[in-house]
Amino acid sequence: MYCLSDQQIDLILTDIRSQGITTESLQNELLDHICILIERNLETDGDFRQYYSSAIKSFYRQELREIEEETSFLLTYHHHRVISRNQFFLLLSTVLIAPFIGYDLICTWMVSLSQYREWSMPEDGWSSTLVFALCPLLVLLVLFLTPDRFDPLIPQKSTILIGIKPLIKIIPTDVNLIGANPHSG
Amino acid sequence: MSYSTELLKGTLKTIILKLLADNKKMYGYEMTQKVKELTFDKIQITEGALYPTLHALEADGLVTTETEWIGKRARKYYSLSPAGKAKTKEKVKELAGFIDTMISLLDIKPKMA
Repeated sequence: MYCLSDQQIDLILTDIRSQGITTESLQNELLDHICILIERNLETDGDFRQYYSSAIKSFYRQELREIEEETSFLLTYHHHRVISRNQFFLLLSTVLIAPFIGYDLICTWMVSLSQYREWSMPEDGWSSTLVFALCPLLVLLVLFLTPDRFDPLIPQKSTILIGIKPLIKIIPTDVNLIGANPHSG
Repeated sequence: MSYSTELLKGTLKTIILKLLADNKKMYGYEMTQKVKELTFDKIQITEGALYPTLHALEADGLVTTETEWIGKRARKYYSLSPAGKAKTKEKVKELAGFIDTMISLLDIKPKMA
């Protein structure tokens, strides 16, 4: 069993920090993890630097700071809900057409009331109401008949997060993770 | 042979919560070794997936932590919070149901003991 000196522990910690791990708690966890790996696997007379440099590489795909980024991502968006592109468009269209539907319902209610109160809607009112009522259909047509036009803004394989601060976050990559985070494997 | 990431996707939180339910308190390295041991090396949790998930579970209030100093190193132990205990039962039940559904869907005959 290899015994790490204080200098070697400091060296590992400095390296972890220099590779982009800024959260102290994460620094400490990675330091402890790598120290245990070294102590349990390296021979007493083994080459510390060589073993350390190969062991730390097994922690990440490209860079160590991926762990920091993923942690930050999960902490920032852990209250957000992941929805599919289609669900996003459905939600968007609902939000867009809801005011129009509401307006139409109010108009219908007023017209039905007018029959009893000897009041009628002016002709201009009817035409503007009709135009207003057709708007939701146009929104739906644009959203569902030509969804490809939104590709630059929302790519086909994007991940969409809905929550608070930010309300909507679009990540232009497919979430492909073990626990709903975007980088790890 | 270890299982692919695709198969393990979505199970990490459940694995961690169940480990903590069975072992009271654990630290990161210990969890990776326990999973390797229990699955005969078929499931290997990477550090890049483990620590972000642990921090997310902590932020969700499902685990509590305590730090122990070993010389110059701080070791962070995780244990289940009361909310975490309830969540573990829910997640394990959900996963068990999913496995049953997959067995039925793929027409897999369970191995006889």
